[in-house]
Amino acid sequence: MKTNFERVVIIGYGKATGEILKYAADRRPDYGYVLQFIEHEIHALSVTKQICEERGIPFASLPDKRELGEYLGKIQEKTLIVSASNNFLFPAALVERENMTIINFHNALLPDYPGRNAPSWVIYQGEARTGITWHYVTAGVDEGNIIIQKSCGIGSDTKAYELTETLMDLAYDGFCECFDGVLQENAEARPQGFSPKRRMYRSTEIPGDGFFDLNEPPEKLYRLLRSVDYGKIGIFPPLQMEVAGKRAEVLRYRKIAPEKRTEGADMLYVPFADGMLLKIKYRLL
Amino acid sequence: MEEKILEILEEYCEEALDYTGDNMMEEGVIDSFTVINVVSELEDVFDIEIDAKYVVAENFRNKEAVIELVRRLLEDE
Repeated sequence: MKTNFERVVIIGYGKATGEILKYAADRRPDYGYVLQFIEHEIHALSVTKQICEERGIPFASLPDKRELGEYLGKIQEKTLIVSASNNFLFPAALVERENMTIINFHNALLPDYPGRNAPSWVIYQGEARTGITWHYVTAGVDEGNIIIQKSCGIGSDTKAYELTETLMDLAYDGFCECFDGVLQENAEARPQGFSPKRRMYRSTEIPGDGFFDLNEPPEKLYRLLRSVDYGKIGIFPPLQMEVAGKRAEVLRYRKIAPEKRTEGADMLYVPFADGMLLKIKYRLL
Repeated sequence: MEEKILEILEEYCEEALDYTGDNMMEEGVIDSFTVINVVSELEDVFDIEIDAKYVVAENFRNKEAVIELVRRLLEDE
């Protein structure tokens, strides 16, 4: 198997990045490229450093955007950059360099839901399906030609972190399917085209503006709660609401059967039409 | 308490019960998404808040570490 790429650089964090790193390491003998990993965002539960140590992959931690841009800008060999779960925006000057090809995994079906936190927005908007897109990176955000897409359903109880996990699995599958084509530079890529639903979501945006009214339909409340639920990974601040005229923040929530109802301090229940209850534990501010 | 924690671990990550090593995360026994589920369940069952600063690999290195974490948080309540 032949490739003109001398170097493959993987940037990212999380489960998909770890699996992609392992896969790319295992494929080194097929193509002879030099593999390298760059950690840009540091996460407490990350195991990518361990994977690098085990498999002899050079590891660099470059949390500073400018430092990372400068580092990548100095690479002279023909290089494939794999951006997997990565929020670093590649500067136009880097994207346009002859020796650079950059592919990115986006956690939605482009051209819909470009930008940040797409799993949250698809849940919040009540979409029935979403998916992942591997695309070539251009100077615009999430605008490059599509290499491969994979889709999945969104369950009525699916939380943002659960959907993220599913999407990461799809991202890994998609990467394995398109990696040879990308390396051999014969992957068929298609333009994204126009979508009336396309709207760029920014990192500062929060579903529901981070606040909800307890009088809203319970399905809508539940969708909002699920859409910002990344467990302890503080992607969004806790949702806020008003309880008896006082501002409160949500600590946790759960959909439960009526017989599981227990009474406790700072806890309230919102009934669903089917008899189930939305249990919300809160803290007064 | 211990029994309940083991039940939760069994529900989300059965392998954690048989694991005898000292780093479940690095050894791929438990992943970050499973940790989120386990934390959420522990909070609900024990009515405790597990702050993000405690959600680190060290506190999920094996089942004993998880039990110790909950014990500590309950004592601090």
